Amino acid sequence: MKDVNKTYPGAVPLHVLKGINLEIAKGELVSIMGASGSGKSTLLNILGILDNYDTGEYRLDGTLIKNLSENKAAEYRNKMIGFVFQSFNLINYKNAIENVSLPLFYQGVGRRKRNLLAMEQLEKLGLADRAHHLPGELSGGQKQRVAIARALITNPSIILADEPTGALDSKTSHEVMELFKELNRQDGITTIIVTHDPGVGNQTDRLIRISDGVIL
Amino acid sequence: MFDLFHEILQTLQHNKLRTTLTGFAVAWGIFMLIVLLGMGNGVTNSFREEVTKPGSQKISIWGGRTSKPYHGYREGRDIPLKSGDISQIETEHNDFVSDANSTIYGSNPTISAGTRSITASYIGVYPSEFNSSGGNKTMSKGRFINDRDMSTQAKVIVIPERDEQRLFPDDDGLGKYVNISGLSFKVIGVYTARWSRNIYIPFTTAKMLAGNNDRLGSVSVLLKNVSTEEDGNKAEKELRKTLAARHDFNPDDESAVWIWNQFSQGMKGLAGMNILNTSIWILGLLTLLSGVVGISNIMFVSVKERTHEIGIRRAIGAKPHSILIQVIAESVAITTLFGYIGIVLGTAVTQILDMAFGDTDFINNPTVSLSVAIQVTIVLIIAGAFAGLFPALNAIKVKPVEALRDE
Repeated sequence: MKDVNKTYPGAVPLHVLKGINLEIAKGELVSIMGASGSGKSTLLNILGILDNYDTGEYRLDGTLIKNLSENKAAEYRNKMIGFVFQSFNLINYKNAIENVSLPLFYQGVGRRKRNLLAMEQLEKLGLADRAHHLPGELSGGQKQRVAIARALITNPSIILADEPTGALDSKTSHEVMELFKELNRQDGITTIIVTHDPGVGNQTDRLIRISDGVIL
Repeated sequence: MFDLFHEILQTLQHNKLRTTLTGFAVAWGIFMLIVLLGMGNGVTNSFREEVTKPGSQKISIWGGRTSKPYHGYREGRDIPLKSGDISQIETEHNDFVSDANSTIYGSNPTISAGTRSITASYIGVYPSEFNSSGGNKTMSKGRFINDRDMSTQAKVIVIPERDEQRLFPDDDGLGKYVNISGLSFKVIGVYTARWSRNIYIPFTTAKMLAGNNDRLGSVSVLLKNVSTEEDGNKAEKELRKTLAARHDFNPDDESAVWIWNQFSQGMKGLAGMNILNTSIWILGLLTLLSGVVGISNIMFVSVKERTHEIGIRRAIGAKPHSILIQVIAESVAITTLFGYIGIVLGTAVTQILDMAFGDTDFINNPTVSLSVAIQVTIVLIIAGAFAGLFPALNAIKVKPVEALRDE
């Protein structure tokens, strides 16, 4: 990420990112920390191709991500990024296996193959027996593991986790962090965790602090 | 495709009550459309049967009085129709005239057999009268008047079954004689009919009884090879021209002979039936429209409620058109599902109506055909897509960033 700037237009234009330079290597486990209003969320949106930036350059796996059409952005998000959210963001009327396989649905993968891959992923995360449960029937930790399975199913270049432990108690938080570490260590999955919890930040290889739109 | 159905089914089950209540409006609209179309068909069928059955392709002509001077004659001259007109019409216009005939109404009011008598008068007719006068006549005994009876001025008579029973209560009337003003007529046939109660004798016989006056009250011309109102109007014009030449009156003089073009009027009526059908469609579609607005409304609500979910779908890689298709497909699914309930119920009601009134004179087979069901299905799909379009356009405005917002 080279010299990325982002300004929100308005009566008083808000310059939120003031030249962000950031390089995250393949296989790294990093965390981004910052107070609210620091530009942390905006950075996450840009990293996740959820939002555009004004100037600079953002390359993901060598691909320049800039001014993409909605369709192209959706395609890149689908293939290159696995999202894990604070509030899990599972679809509540779909069971675990359907939630996990949803990104593959949007790739046009057939139902049988989709369910097979989703089941594999759930097994890997120790949730095979919960495959046909609805999110409402799962505990917080289980929900977050289902969400992680959904993020992993497309073999993305990076996992972007937004406050992944924010809605969990300390014990489950610890378990989820262990899972991220294990996935990173064993499968070499590049993981970026956005958090304001120093306890979480300290468990990652590198801690990136952002304040007032610049990286410290 | 299956996946799409699965998705739709899941989201619909999500909100059963609301979906059902809204869907009811669509089902009701379609139900009304089907029932109205069925009834409209019933009326149209009955009318069409009436105008296309043998005997309805008819033009009747009466003698009149001229209203324009012509060839040195002054206006106000009586034009009587003559027996010769009939043969002239038949030979000159055999391309569109299948038969021309006339009738003479008898003036004697009683017909008796032994001590029994009925008050009724005869009609002198041509043999073709049997088929051309309608009323679904069938001979139950004997035969109708034939050409031989005509040429011999035979004193024979054809009576309806009801009069046979009244004149010959204990006996078979066929072959017996009845008495009309002192003359004996042999009963050669007995018929049954839905409406007709006429008593028939040969035209020539009736003419003789009337004192061999050659003046005809009216002439009926049965048409053939005609199918449109224009055909009928053309035939009418030709007939008037022929009579004008024979009786020396201006062919444009409409009062010289009076012509009632039953065929063209029937065709005009049928065209009116098409207007009825069209207005039913318009009514039905307007009723359906209120249902469609309802569907559109819940789709808006549903999109609003699922903003977060749509954001999630977008974040994990759903393209805008996937969202668009899903919302429209949901709308089409609700509309067609409930529409079909309406079609099934409506068809059931038309079948019941058919059983109850299917045989009456005004309604005949009040049901809808398969092609109407197909038309209605197409309308439903279009209506559903239309109802879903605007909510769907709203849905694709949802940004994937919505996924990050807490509920």
